[in-house]
Amino acid sequence: MKQTVQMQELEALMRSSQIVAGGFLGSDTRPLSEIIEADEADVAALGATLDGLGAKMAELTAAGKRGLGTAVAVGDGLSVRVEESRGLLICPWPNHGRFLKTETIVTRLDTGVSIHWSDLSAHLIAAHGFFQGRGSAFRVEPRDLVAMLSLYHPSSEHPSGTS
Amino acid sequence: MNLVLIVLVVSVIAAVLAAVLVFADTYINNYGECEIDVNEGTRTYTVKGGTSLLGALTDQKLFIPSACGGRGTCGYCKVKVIDGGGPVLPTEDGFLSPEEKKENVRLSCQVKVRGNIKIRIPDDLLSVREFTCVCSRIRELTYDIREFRFTLEEPDSITFVPGQYVQLLSPVYAGSSEEVYRAYSISSNPADTAAIELVIRLVPGGICTTYCFEHLKEGSPVRFNGPYGEFRMSDTDAPMIMIAGGSGMAPFNSILHQMKSTGCTRTAVYFFGARKVRDLFYIDEMRAFEKELPNFTFIPVLSEPQGEQWDGETGLVTEAVQRHFNDASGHEAYLCGSPGMIDASIVVLKKLGVPEDRIYYDKFS
Ligand SMILES: Cc1cc2nc3c(=O)[nH]c(=O)nc-3n(C[C@H](O)[C@H](O)[C@H](O)COP(=O)(O)OP(=O)(O)OC[C@H]3O[C@@H](n4cnc5c(N)ncnc54)[C@H](O)[C@@H]3O)c2cc1C
Ligand code: FES
Ligand SMILES: [Zn+2]
Repeated sequence: MKQTVQMQELEALMRSSQIVAGGFLGSDTRPLSEIIEADEADVAALGATLDGLGAKMAELTAAGKRGLGTAVAVGDGLSVRVEESRGLLICPWPNHGRFLKTETIVTRLDTGVSIHWSDLSAHLIAAHGFFQGRGSAFRVEPRDLVAMLSLYHPSSEHPSGTS
Repeated sequence: MNLVLIVLVVSVIAAVLAAVLVFADTYINNYGECEIDVNEGTRTYTVKGGTSLLGALTDQKLFIPSACGGRGTCGYCKVKVIDGGGPVLPTEDGFLSPEEKKENVRLSCQVKVRGNIKIRIPDDLLSVREFTCVCSRIRELTYDIREFRFTLEEPDSITFVPGQYVQLLSPVYAGSSEEVYRAYSISSNPADTAAIELVIRLVPGGICTTYCFEHLKEGSPVRFNGPYGEFRMSDTDAPMIMIAGGSGMAPFNSILHQMKSTGCTRTAVYFFGARKVRDLFYIDEMRAFEKELPNFTFIPVLSEPQGEQWDGETGLVTEAVQRHFNDASGHEAYLCGSPGMIDASIVVLKKLGVPEDRIYYDKFS
Protein backbone atom coordinates (compact mmCIF):
# COMPACT_ATOMS: atom_id res chain seq x y z
CA MET A 1 0.00 0.00 0.00
CA LYS A 2 1.31 3.45 -0.90
CA GLN A 3 1.74 6.08 1.83
CA THR A 4 -0.20 8.88 0.06
CA VAL A 5 -0.35 12.53 1.17
CA GLN A 6 -3.79 11.80 2.68
CA MET A 7 -2.28 8.85 4.53
CA GLN A 8 0.50 11.10 5.88
CA GLU A 9 -2.08 13.63 7.13
CA LEU A 10 -4.04 10.80 8.70
CA GLU A 11 -0.89 9.49 10.35
CA ALA A 12 -0.11 12.92 11.81
CA LEU A 13 -3.64 13.09 13.27
CA MET A 14 -3.24 9.58 14.66
CA ARG A 15 0.08 10.40 16.34
CA SER A 16 -1.52 13.44 18.08
CA SER A 17 -3.90 13.38 21.07
CA GLN A 18 -6.66 15.12 19.12
CA ILE A 19 -9.01 12.15 19.33
CA VAL A 20 -7.63 9.82 22.02
CA ALA A 21 -4.93 10.30 24.66
CA GLY A 22 -1.52 9.42 23.25
CA GLY A 23 -2.94 8.79 19.76
CA PHE A 24 -3.47 5.49 17.97
CA LEU A 25 0.08 4.56 17.02
CA GLY A 26 1.76 4.10 20.40
CA SER A 27 5.52 3.84 20.05
CA ASP A 28 5.31 2.24 16.60
CA THR A 29 7.56 4.10 14.15
CA ARG A 30 6.37 2.22 11.04
CA PRO A 31 4.33 4.24 8.51
CA LEU A 32 0.56 3.78 8.87
CA SER A 33 0.28 1.97 5.53
CA GLU A 34 2.90 -0.56 6.63
CA ILE A 35 1.14 -1.26 9.94
CA ILE A 36 -2.15 -1.89 8.14
CA GLU A 37 -0.53 -4.05 5.47
CA ALA A 38 1.28 -6.27 7.99
CA ASP A 39 -1.84 -6.85 10.11
CA GLU A 40 -4.05 -7.51 7.09
CA ALA A 41 -1.55 -10.15 5.93
CA ASP A 42 -1.70 -11.77 9.40
CA VAL A 43 -5.51 -11.82 9.32
CA ALA A 44 -5.51 -13.48 5.90
CA ALA A 45 -2.88 -16.03 7.00
CA LEU A 46 -5.11 -16.92 9.97
CA GLY A 47 -7.98 -17.63 7.57
CA ALA A 48 -10.09 -14.80 8.98
CA THR A 49 -11.69 -11.74 7.38
CA LEU A 50 -12.08 -8.21 8.70
CA ASP A 51 -15.85 -8.36 8.12
CA GLY A 52 -16.10 -11.60 10.06
CA LEU A 53 -14.05 -10.24 12.97
CA GLY A 54 -16.08 -6.99 12.99
CA ALA A 55 -19.39 -8.86 13.04
CA LYS A 56 -18.34 -11.05 15.99
CA MET A 57 -16.98 -8.08 17.94
CA ALA A 58 -20.26 -6.22 17.40
CA GLU A 59 -22.26 -9.25 18.58
CA LEU A 60 -20.11 -9.64 21.70
CA THR A 61 -20.48 -5.95 22.53
CA ALA A 62 -24.25 -6.19 22.10
CA ALA A 63 -24.34 -9.28 24.37
CA GLY A 64 -22.22 -7.53 27.01
CA LYS A 65 -24.35 -4.37 26.92
CA ARG A 66 -27.30 -6.34 28.25
CA GLY A 67 -25.39 -6.73 31.53
CA LEU A 68 -25.43 -2.93 32.12
CA GLY A 69 -21.84 -3.00 33.39
CA THR A 70 -22.01 -6.52 34.87
CA ALA A 71 -20.19 -9.43 33.20
CA VAL A 72 -22.31 -11.73 31.03
CA ALA A 73 -21.30 -15.36 30.33
CA VAL A 74 -21.06 -16.12 26.59
CA GLY A 75 -19.55 -18.63 24.17
CA ASP A 76 -17.22 -21.46 25.19
CA GLY A 77 -16.14 -20.22 28.63
CA LEU A 78 -16.01 -16.48 27.95
CA SER A 79 -17.35 -13.56 29.93
CA VAL A 80 -17.99 -10.16 28.41
CA ARG A 81 -18.39 -6.88 30.23
CA VAL A 82 -19.15 -3.52 28.65
CA GLU A 83 -18.12 -0.22 30.28
CA GLU A 84 -19.84 2.84 28.86
CA SER A 85 -19.08 6.52 29.33
CA ARG A 86 -21.23 9.28 27.93
CA GLY A 87 -19.77 11.07 24.91
CA LEU A 88 -18.63 10.34 21.38
CA LEU A 89 -15.34 9.77 19.56
CA ILE A 90 -14.81 10.23 15.84
CA CYS A 91 -13.04 7.92 13.43
CA PRO A 92 -9.79 9.59 12.30
CA TRP A 93 -10.54 8.78 8.63
CA PRO A 94 -12.31 11.84 7.16
CA ASN A 95 -16.11 11.85 7.55
CA HIS A 96 -16.24 8.34 8.88
CA GLY A 97 -18.68 8.57 11.72
CA ARG A 98 -18.86 8.86 15.48
CA PHE A 99 -18.74 6.14 18.09
CA LEU A 100 -19.89 5.88 21.69
CA LYS A 101 -17.17 5.74 24.35
CA THR A 102 -17.92 2.09 24.96
CA GLU A 103 -15.29 -0.43 25.99
CA THR A 104 -15.85 -4.19 25.70
CA ILE A 105 -13.72 -6.52 27.83
CA VAL A 106 -13.78 -10.22 26.90
CA THR A 107 -12.18 -12.68 29.33
CA ARG A 108 -11.44 -16.41 29.03
CA LEU A 109 -12.77 -17.87 32.26
CA ASP A 110 -10.23 -20.76 32.25
CA THR A 111 -7.06 -18.69 31.88
CA GLY A 112 -8.19 -15.22 32.94
CA VAL A 113 -6.67 -13.82 29.71
CA SER A 114 -8.66 -10.89 28.38
CA ILE A 115 -8.71 -8.54 25.42
CA HIS A 116 -10.54 -5.27 25.10
CA TRP A 117 -11.75 -2.97 22.36
CA SER A 118 -13.77 0.23 22.13
CA ASP A 119 -16.58 0.78 19.61
CA LEU A 120 -14.09 2.99 17.76
CA SER A 121 -11.26 0.45 17.77
CA ALA A 122 -13.65 -2.28 16.56
CA HIS A 123 -14.67 0.01 13.69
CA LEU A 124 -11.00 0.74 12.89
CA ILE A 125 -10.36 -3.00 12.59
CA ALA A 126 -13.50 -3.90 10.62
CA ALA A 127 -13.63 -0.92 8.26
CA HIS A 128 -9.97 0.02 7.87
CA GLY A 129 -7.98 -3.11 8.80
CA PHE A 130 -6.24 -0.94 11.41
CA PHE A 131 -5.32 -2.79 14.62
CA GLN A 132 -3.34 0.29 15.90
CA GLY A 133 0.37 0.74 16.45
CA ARG A 134 2.48 -1.26 18.88
CA GLY A 135 2.35 0.28 22.33
CA SER A 136 -1.13 1.77 21.84
CA ALA A 137 -3.40 0.86 24.79
CA PHE A 138 -6.00 -0.39 22.30
CA ARG A 139 -3.72 -2.38 19.99
CA VAL A 140 -4.83 -5.98 19.70
CA GLU A 141 -2.70 -8.60 17.94
CA PRO A 142 -4.70 -10.17 15.08
CA ARG A 143 -3.81 -13.71 16.25
CA ASP A 144 -5.04 -12.96 19.83
CA LEU A 145 -8.29 -11.51 18.52
CA VAL A 146 -8.91 -14.40 16.12
CA ALA A 147 -8.19 -16.94 18.91
CA MET A 148 -10.52 -15.24 21.39
CA LEU A 149 -13.35 -14.78 18.88
CA SER A 150 -13.12 -18.43 17.82
CA LEU A 151 -14.50 -19.28 21.30
CA TYR A 152 -17.65 -17.29 20.67
CA HIS A 153 -20.65 -18.76 18.92
CA PRO A 154 -23.69 -16.48 19.08
CA SER A 155 -26.09 -19.38 19.81
CA SER A 156 -24.24 -20.25 23.03
CA GLU A 157 -24.94 -16.94 24.75
CA HIS A 158 -26.57 -17.02 28.19
CA PRO A 159 -28.14 -13.55 28.35
CA SER A 160 -29.22 -13.65 31.97
CA GLY A 161 -26.18 -15.46 33.32
CA THR A 162 -23.55 -13.44 35.10
CA SER A 163 -20.10 -14.44 36.14
CA MET B 1 7.99 3.55 -12.17
CA ASN B 2 6.83 6.40 -14.44
CA LEU B 3 3.33 6.14 -13.01
CA VAL B 4 4.67 6.35 -9.45
CA LEU B 5 6.63 9.48 -10.42
CA ILE B 6 3.54 11.11 -11.99
CA VAL B 7 1.41 10.34 -8.91
CA LEU B 8 4.14 11.76 -6.69
CA VAL B 9 4.46 14.97 -8.74
CA VAL B 10 0.67 15.47 -8.84
CA SER B 11 0.45 14.89 -5.06
CA VAL B 12 3.20 17.42 -4.38
CA ILE B 13 1.58 20.03 -6.70
CA ALA B 14 -1.80 19.49 -4.98
CA ALA B 15 -0.22 19.89 -1.54
CA VAL B 16 1.61 23.09 -2.58
CA LEU B 17 -1.58 24.56 -4.12
CA ALA B 18 -3.56 23.75 -0.97
CA ALA B 19 -0.88 25.43 1.18
CA VAL B 20 -0.91 28.53 -1.10
CA LEU B 21 -4.72 28.74 -0.86
CA VAL B 22 -4.66 28.50 2.94
CA PHE B 23 -1.89 31.14 3.07
CA ALA B 24 -3.74 33.45 0.69
CA ASP B 25 -6.99 33.04 2.58
CA THR B 26 -5.34 33.74 5.91
CA TYR B 27 -2.99 36.58 5.03
CA ILE B 28 -4.05 38.17 1.75
CA ASN B 29 -7.85 38.02 1.63
CA ASN B 30 -9.33 40.93 3.49
CA TYR B 31 -12.95 40.36 4.38
CA GLY B 32 -13.16 43.65 6.31
CA GLU B 33 -15.65 44.08 9.11
CA CYS B 34 -18.55 41.65 9.18
CA GLU B 35 -21.71 41.63 11.26
CA ILE B 36 -22.95 38.55 13.09
CA ASP B 37 -26.64 38.71 13.93
CA VAL B 38 -27.71 36.28 16.66
CA ASN B 39 -31.39 35.31 17.10
CA GLU B 40 -32.92 38.06 14.98
CA GLY B 41 -31.08 40.99 16.51
CA THR B 42 -31.00 39.75 20.15
CA ARG B 43 -27.25 40.27 19.87
CA THR B 44 -25.16 41.77 17.06
CA TYR B 45 -21.40 41.70 16.89
CA THR B 46 -19.07 43.48 14.51
CA VAL B 47 -16.03 41.28 13.93
CA LYS B 48 -13.03 41.19 11.62
CA GLY B 49 -13.79 38.70 8.81
CA GLY B 50 -11.61 35.72 8.05
CA THR B 51 -11.92 33.72 11.27
CA SER B 52 -14.19 30.79 12.02
CA LEU B 53 -17.70 31.54 13.24
CA LEU B 54 -16.98 29.59 16.44
CA GLY B 55 -13.79 31.59 17.04
CA ALA B 56 -15.52 34.91 16.36
CA LEU B 57 -18.35 34.07 18.78
CA THR B 58 -15.92 32.86 21.46
CA ASP B 59 -13.98 36.14 21.12
CA GLN B 60 -17.28 37.91 21.84
CA LYS B 61 -17.77 35.66 24.91
CA LEU B 62 -20.65 33.79 23.31
CA PHE B 63 -19.89 30.13 24.02
CA ILE B 64 -21.13 27.37 21.73
CA PRO B 65 -20.52 23.82 23.07
CA SER B 66 -17.29 22.37 21.71
CA ALA B 67 -15.26 19.37 22.85
CA CYS B 68 -12.41 19.51 20.32
CA GLY B 69 -11.48 23.20 20.44
CA GLY B 70 -12.69 23.89 16.89
CA ARG B 71 -10.77 21.17 15.05
CA GLY B 72 -13.91 19.76 13.45
CA THR B 73 -13.66 16.45 15.28
CA CYS B 74 -16.44 16.52 17.92
CA GLY B 75 -19.54 17.74 16.06
CA TYR B 76 -20.86 19.62 19.14
CA CYS B 77 -20.64 23.20 17.81
CA LYS B 78 -23.83 23.17 15.74
CA VAL B 79 -25.71 26.40 15.06
CA LYS B 80 -28.38 27.31 12.50
CA VAL B 81 -26.91 29.63 9.88
CA ILE B 82 -29.88 31.47 8.39
CA ASP B 83 -27.84 33.58 5.99
CA GLY B 84 -24.24 33.97 4.86
CA GLY B 85 -22.63 30.66 5.78
CA GLY B 86 -21.61 29.49 2.31
CA PRO B 87 -21.88 25.85 1.22
CA VAL B 88 -21.59 22.90 3.63
CA LEU B 89 -17.96 21.70 3.67
CA PRO B 90 -16.87 18.07 3.33
CA THR B 91 -15.50 18.32 6.91
CA GLU B 92 -19.04 18.95 8.18
CA ASP B 93 -20.81 16.35 6.10
CA GLY B 94 -20.42 13.36 8.41
CA PHE B 95 -21.79 15.31 11.40
CA LEU B 96 -25.01 16.59 9.84
CA SER B 97 -28.18 14.56 9.30
CA PRO B 98 -30.26 15.23 6.15
CA GLU B 99 -32.85 17.03 8.37
CA GLU B 100 -30.14 19.23 9.89
CA LYS B 101 -28.82 20.12 6.45
CA LYS B 102 -32.33 21.08 5.36
CA GLU B 103 -32.60 23.33 8.41
CA ASN B 104 -29.23 25.00 7.63
CA VAL B 105 -27.53 23.55 10.70
CA ARG B 106 -23.74 23.94 10.43
CA LEU B 107 -20.62 23.22 12.44
CA SER B 108 -19.70 26.72 13.58
CA CYS B 109 -15.99 25.87 13.73
CA GLN B 110 -16.02 25.06 9.99
CA VAL B 111 -18.01 28.11 8.85
CA LYS B 112 -15.78 31.02 7.95
CA VAL B 113 -16.94 34.59 8.52
CA ARG B 114 -16.53 36.12 5.06
CA GLY B 115 -19.41 38.60 5.17
CA ASN B 116 -22.50 39.38 7.25
CA ILE B 117 -23.96 36.27 8.88
CA LYS B 118 -27.30 35.57 10.56
CA ILE B 119 -27.45 32.70 13.02
CA ARG B 120 -29.97 31.13 15.41
CA ILE B 121 -28.96 29.42 18.66
CA PRO B 122 -30.95 28.15 21.67
CA ASP B 123 -31.66 31.13 23.99
CA ASP B 124 -29.96 29.29 26.89
CA LEU B 125 -26.59 29.67 25.18
CA LEU B 126 -26.81 33.45 25.50
CA SER B 127 -26.20 33.15 29.25
CA VAL B 128 -23.25 30.75 29.01
CA ARG B 129 -20.09 32.22 30.55
CA GLU B 130 -16.48 31.19 30.86
CA PHE B 131 -15.33 30.72 34.46
CA THR B 132 -11.87 30.65 35.98
CA CYS B 133 -11.67 28.96 39.35
CA VAL B 134 -9.52 27.01 41.77
CA CYS B 135 -9.93 23.37 42.66
CA SER B 136 -10.67 23.75 46.36
CA ARG B 137 -11.45 20.16 47.34
CA ILE B 138 -11.09 16.64 45.93
CA ARG B 139 -13.03 13.89 47.70
CA GLU B 140 -12.67 10.18 46.92
CA LEU B 141 -16.20 8.74 46.62
CA THR B 142 -15.27 5.25 45.35
CA TYR B 143 -12.11 3.66 43.92
CA ASP B 144 -12.87 5.25 40.53
CA ILE B 145 -15.21 8.16 41.29
CA ARG B 146 -14.19 11.48 42.82
CA GLU B 147 -16.00 14.67 43.72
CA PHE B 148 -14.25 17.88 42.65
CA ARG B 149 -15.16 21.26 44.14
CA PHE B 150 -14.23 24.31 42.10
CA THR B 151 -14.41 27.69 43.86
CA LEU B 152 -15.17 30.42 41.34
CA GLU B 153 -12.87 33.38 40.82
CA GLU B 154 -13.96 35.23 37.65
CA PRO B 155 -16.93 35.59 37.51
CA ASP B 156 -17.33 34.77 41.20
CA SER B 157 -20.84 33.32 41.09
CA ILE B 158 -22.90 31.04 38.86
CA THR B 159 -26.60 30.54 38.27
CA PHE B 160 -27.67 27.18 36.89
CA VAL B 161 -30.67 24.91 36.78
CA PRO B 162 -30.09 21.52 38.48
CA GLY B 163 -29.56 18.97 35.71
CA GLN B 164 -27.35 21.27 33.63
CA TYR B 165 -23.72 20.55 32.81
CA VAL B 166 -20.50 22.47 32.22
CA GLN B 167 -17.66 21.93 29.74
CA LEU B 168 -14.43 21.46 31.68
CA LEU B 169 -11.12 22.32 30.02
CA SER B 170 -8.54 19.55 30.05
CA PRO B 171 -5.25 21.38 29.39
CA VAL B 172 -2.15 20.01 27.69
CA TYR B 173 -0.29 17.61 30.01
CA ALA B 174 2.33 14.88 29.65
CA GLY B 175 0.50 12.23 27.61
CA SER B 176 -2.03 14.58 26.02
CA SER B 177 -0.80 17.17 23.56
CA GLU B 178 -4.14 18.94 23.00
CA GLU B 179 -6.58 21.10 24.94
CA VAL B 180 -10.01 19.45 24.97
CA TYR B 181 -13.31 20.13 26.71
CA ARG B 182 -15.52 17.46 28.31
CA ALA B 183 -19.07 17.73 29.66
CA TYR B 184 -19.77 17.14 33.37
CA SER B 185 -23.13 17.52 35.13
CA ILE B 186 -23.16 19.87 38.09
CA SER B 187 -23.76 17.92 41.28
CA SER B 188 -23.93 20.72 43.83
CA ASN B 189 -26.67 22.75 45.44
CA PRO B 190 -27.75 25.60 43.10
CA ALA B 191 -28.01 27.84 46.17
CA ASP B 192 -24.23 27.50 46.58
CA THR B 193 -23.44 30.04 43.86
CA ALA B 194 -19.75 30.56 44.76
CA ALA B 195 -18.65 27.10 43.65
CA ILE B 196 -19.66 24.03 41.67
CA GLU B 197 -19.09 20.37 42.43
CA LEU B 198 -18.65 17.66 39.81
CA VAL B 199 -18.72 13.89 40.24
CA ILE B 200 -16.25 12.34 37.81
CA ARG B 201 -15.61 8.68 37.05
CA LEU B 202 -12.15 7.72 35.84
CA VAL B 203 -12.17 6.31 32.31
CA PRO B 204 -8.86 4.44 32.02
CA GLY B 205 -6.85 6.07 29.25
CA GLY B 206 -9.40 8.90 28.93
CA ILE B 207 -7.96 12.35 28.18
CA CYS B 208 -9.89 14.52 30.64
CA THR B 209 -10.48 12.01 33.43
CA THR B 210 -6.76 11.10 33.48
CA TYR B 211 -6.06 14.83 33.84
CA CYS B 212 -8.57 15.11 36.70
CA PHE B 213 -7.32 12.03 38.57
CA GLU B 214 -3.57 12.27 37.98
CA HIS B 215 -2.72 15.92 37.37
CA LEU B 216 -5.41 18.11 38.94
CA LYS B 217 -4.63 18.87 42.60
CA GLU B 218 -6.28 20.96 45.32
CA GLY B 219 -5.16 24.52 44.55
CA SER B 220 -4.83 23.96 40.79
CA PRO B 221 -6.37 26.60 38.51
CA VAL B 222 -9.31 25.33 36.44
CA ARG B 223 -11.37 26.69 33.54
CA PHE B 224 -14.84 25.70 32.41
CA ASN B 225 -17.73 27.20 30.52
CA GLY B 226 -21.44 26.71 30.95
CA PRO B 227 -24.06 26.04 32.09
CA TYR B 228 -25.52 23.99 29.23
CA GLY B 229 -28.36 21.54 28.72
CA GLU B 230 -32.08 21.14 28.95
CA PHE B 231 -32.21 18.16 31.34
CA ARG B 232 -34.12 19.43 34.38
CA MET B 233 -37.08 18.72 36.64
CA SER B 234 -40.41 19.71 35.10
CA ASP B 235 -42.72 22.07 36.97
CA THR B 236 -45.62 19.59 37.15
CA ASP B 237 -46.74 17.64 40.24
CA ALA B 238 -46.41 14.23 38.56
CA PRO B 239 -44.66 11.57 40.65
CA MET B 240 -41.10 10.99 39.48
CA ILE B 241 -39.04 7.90 38.79
CA MET B 242 -35.31 8.68 38.77
CA ILE B 243 -32.84 6.12 37.44
CA ALA B 244 -29.06 6.54 37.51
CA GLY B 245 -25.80 4.65 37.61
CA GLY B 246 -22.21 5.68 38.36
CA SER B 247 -21.49 9.37 37.81
CA GLY B 248 -25.14 9.73 36.66
CA MET B 249 -25.73 10.47 40.37
CA ALA B 250 -24.52 14.06 39.83
CA PRO B 251 -27.60 15.83 38.41
CA PHE B 252 -29.94 14.06 40.85
CA ASN B 253 -27.89 15.20 43.83
CA SER B 254 -28.32 18.76 42.57
CA ILE B 255 -32.06 18.27 41.86
CA LEU B 256 -32.59 16.85 45.38
CA HIS B 257 -30.85 19.87 46.92
CA GLN B 258 -33.24 22.08 44.96
CA MET B 259 -36.28 20.03 46.07
CA LYS B 260 -35.15 20.40 49.68
CA SER B 261 -34.57 24.13 49.52
CA THR B 262 -37.91 24.77 47.78
CA GLY B 263 -39.85 22.50 50.17
CA CYS B 264 -40.92 20.31 47.23
CA THR B 265 -43.35 17.54 48.25
CA ARG B 266 -43.45 15.67 44.93
CA THR B 267 -43.27 11.91 45.15
CA ALA B 268 -39.94 10.68 43.86
CA VAL B 269 -38.41 7.19 43.81
CA TYR B 270 -34.71 7.15 42.95
CA PHE B 271 -33.16 3.86 41.73
CA PHE B 272 -29.36 3.87 41.73
CA GLY B 273 -27.67 0.91 40.00
CA ALA B 274 -24.17 -0.27 40.94
CA ARG B 275 -22.22 -3.52 40.72
CA LYS B 276 -20.94 -3.95 44.26
CA VAL B 277 -21.09 -2.21 47.63
CA ARG B 278 -17.76 -0.56 46.81
CA ASP B 279 -19.45 1.20 43.85
CA LEU B 280 -22.02 2.95 46.06
CA PHE B 281 -21.53 6.54 47.23
CA TYR B 282 -23.50 9.50 48.66
CA ILE B 283 -25.52 6.94 50.65
CA ASP B 284 -25.55 9.10 53.82
CA GLU B 285 -26.57 12.12 51.74
CA MET B 286 -29.42 10.18 50.10
CA ARG B 287 -30.66 8.83 53.48
CA ALA B 288 -30.61 12.44 54.77
CA PHE B 289 -32.73 13.56 51.79
CA GLU B 290 -35.17 10.74 52.62
CA LYS B 291 -35.64 12.32 56.08
CA GLU B 292 -35.83 15.89 54.75
CA LEU B 293 -38.11 15.28 51.75
CA PRO B 294 -41.48 13.82 52.83
CA ASN B 295 -42.12 11.75 49.68
CA PHE B 296 -38.64 10.75 48.56
CA THR B 297 -37.36 7.15 48.51
CA PHE B 298 -33.84 6.06 47.60
CA ILE B 299 -33.35 2.49 46.32
CA PRO B 300 -29.76 1.37 45.65
CA VAL B 301 -29.61 -1.80 43.52
CA LEU B 302 -26.58 -4.11 43.28
CA SER B 303 -26.06 -6.32 40.23
CA GLU B 304 -23.15 -8.34 41.69
CA PRO B 305 -23.99 -8.71 45.40
CA GLN B 306 -22.51 -12.24 45.63
CA GLY B 307 -20.27 -12.51 48.72
CA GLU B 308 -21.23 -9.03 49.97
CA GLN B 309 -23.07 -7.99 53.12
CA TRP B 310 -26.14 -6.64 51.39
CA ASP B 311 -29.83 -6.97 52.14
CA GLY B 312 -31.05 -4.34 49.68
CA GLU B 313 -32.38 -4.73 46.12
CA THR B 314 -30.40 -6.90 43.71
CA GLY B 315 -30.25 -7.52 39.95
CA LEU B 316 -30.17 -4.98 37.16
CA VAL B 317 -31.50 -1.54 38.05
CA THR B 318 -34.18 -1.92 35.38
CA GLU B 319 -35.37 -5.18 37.01
CA ALA B 320 -35.79 -3.34 40.33
CA VAL B 321 -37.88 -0.67 38.60
CA GLN B 322 -40.06 -3.37 37.07
CA ARG B 323 -40.54 -5.05 40.46
CA HIS B 324 -41.52 -1.76 42.09
CA PHE B 325 -44.30 -0.62 39.74
CA ASN B 326 -47.23 -2.34 38.05
CA ASP B 327 -48.45 0.75 36.26
CA ALA B 328 -46.42 3.94 36.06
CA SER B 329 -48.54 5.68 33.45
CA GLY B 330 -48.99 8.79 35.60
CA HIS B 331 -45.28 9.18 36.24
CA GLU B 332 -42.47 11.20 34.74
CA ALA B 333 -39.08 9.51 34.43
CA TYR B 334 -35.62 11.07 34.68
CA LEU B 335 -32.57 9.11 33.54
CA CYS B 336 -28.84 9.72 33.78
CA GLY B 337 -26.16 7.15 33.11
CA SER B 338 -24.62 5.10 30.35
CA PRO B 339 -26.33 4.97 26.94
CA GLY B 340 -27.03 1.24 27.53
CA MET B 341 -28.73 1.95 30.86
CA ILE B 342 -30.79 4.71 29.28
CA ASP B 343 -31.91 2.47 26.38
CA ALA B 344 -32.80 -0.41 28.73
CA SER B 345 -34.67 1.94 31.11
CA ILE B 346 -36.73 3.43 28.27
CA VAL B 347 -37.87 -0.06 27.22
CA VAL B 348 -38.96 -0.91 30.80
CA LEU B 349 -40.60 2.47 31.44
CA LYS B 350 -42.62 2.26 28.23
CA LYS B 351 -43.79 -1.23 29.26
CA LEU B 352 -44.91 0.26 32.58
CA GLY B 353 -46.95 2.86 30.70
CA VAL B 354 -44.75 5.96 31.00
CA PRO B 355 -45.34 7.99 27.82
CA GLU B 356 -42.15 8.51 25.81
CA ASP B 357 -42.50 12.29 25.94
CA ARG B 358 -42.35 12.14 29.74
CA ILE B 359 -39.04 10.27 29.83
CA TYR B 360 -36.27 12.87 30.22
CA TYR B 361 -32.51 12.41 29.69
CA ASP B 362 -29.58 14.20 28.09
CA LYS B 363 -29.50 13.36 24.40
CA PHE B 364 -25.88 13.87 23.44
CA SER B 365 -25.57 11.67 20.40
C1 LIG C 1 -24.08 15.90 28.88
C2 LIG C 1 -22.97 15.05 29.46
C3 LIG C 1 -22.79 15.04 30.84
C4 LIG C 1 -21.76 14.26 31.38
N1 LIG C 1 -21.60 14.25 32.74
C5 LIG C 1 -20.64 13.49 33.31
C6 LIG C 1 -20.47 13.44 34.74
O1 LIG C 1 -21.18 14.11 35.49
N2 LIG C 1 -19.47 12.66 35.22
C7 LIG C 1 -18.65 11.90 34.41
O2 LIG C 1 -17.76 11.21 34.93
N3 LIG C 1 -18.80 11.93 33.04
C8 LIG C 1 -19.76 12.71 32.49
N4 LIG C 1 -19.88 12.75 31.11
C9 LIG C 1 -18.87 12.05 30.27
C10 LIG C 1 -17.66 12.97 30.05
O3 LIG C 1 -18.04 14.08 29.27
C11 LIG C 1 -16.50 12.28 29.30
O4 LIG C 1 -16.94 11.78 28.08
C12 LIG C 1 -15.86 11.18 30.10
O5 LIG C 1 -15.43 11.66 31.36
C13 LIG C 1 -14.65 10.59 29.37
O6 LIG C 1 -13.79 11.64 29.02
P1 LIG C 1 -12.24 11.42 28.79
O7 LIG C 1 -11.71 12.64 28.13
O8 LIG C 1 -11.57 10.97 30.06
O9 LIG C 1 -12.22 10.18 27.82
P2 LIG C 1 -11.91 10.21 26.24
O10 LIG C 1 -10.46 10.34 26.05
O11 LIG C 1 -12.77 11.20 25.56
O12 LIG C 1 -12.43 8.78 25.81
C14 LIG C 1 -11.95 7.59 26.43
C15 LIG C 1 -12.46 6.41 25.66
O13 LIG C 1 -11.84 6.44 24.38
C16 LIG C 1 -11.65 5.14 23.91
N5 LIG C 1 -10.23 5.04 23.51
C17 LIG C 1 -9.13 5.50 24.18
N6 LIG C 1 -8.00 5.25 23.48
C18 LIG C 1 -8.40 4.61 22.35
C19 LIG C 1 -7.71 4.09 21.22
N7 LIG C 1 -6.38 4.16 21.11
N8 LIG C 1 -8.44 3.50 20.26
C20 LIG C 1 -9.79 3.41 20.33
N9 LIG C 1 -10.50 3.88 21.37
C21 LIG C 1 -9.81 4.48 22.37
C22 LIG C 1 -11.99 4.20 25.00
O14 LIG C 1 -13.28 3.70 24.75
C23 LIG C 1 -12.06 5.04 26.24
O15 LIG C 1 -13.05 4.50 27.05
C24 LIG C 1 -20.91 13.50 30.55
C25 LIG C 1 -21.09 13.53 29.15
C26 LIG C 1 -22.10 14.29 28.61
C27 LIG C 1 -22.26 14.30 27.12
S1 FES D 1 -15.87 22.42 17.82
FE1 FES D 1 -15.65 20.29 17.58
S2 FES D 1 -16.52 20.00 15.62
FE2 FES D 1 -16.66 22.11 15.87
ZN1 LIG E 1 -13.78 4.95 9.84
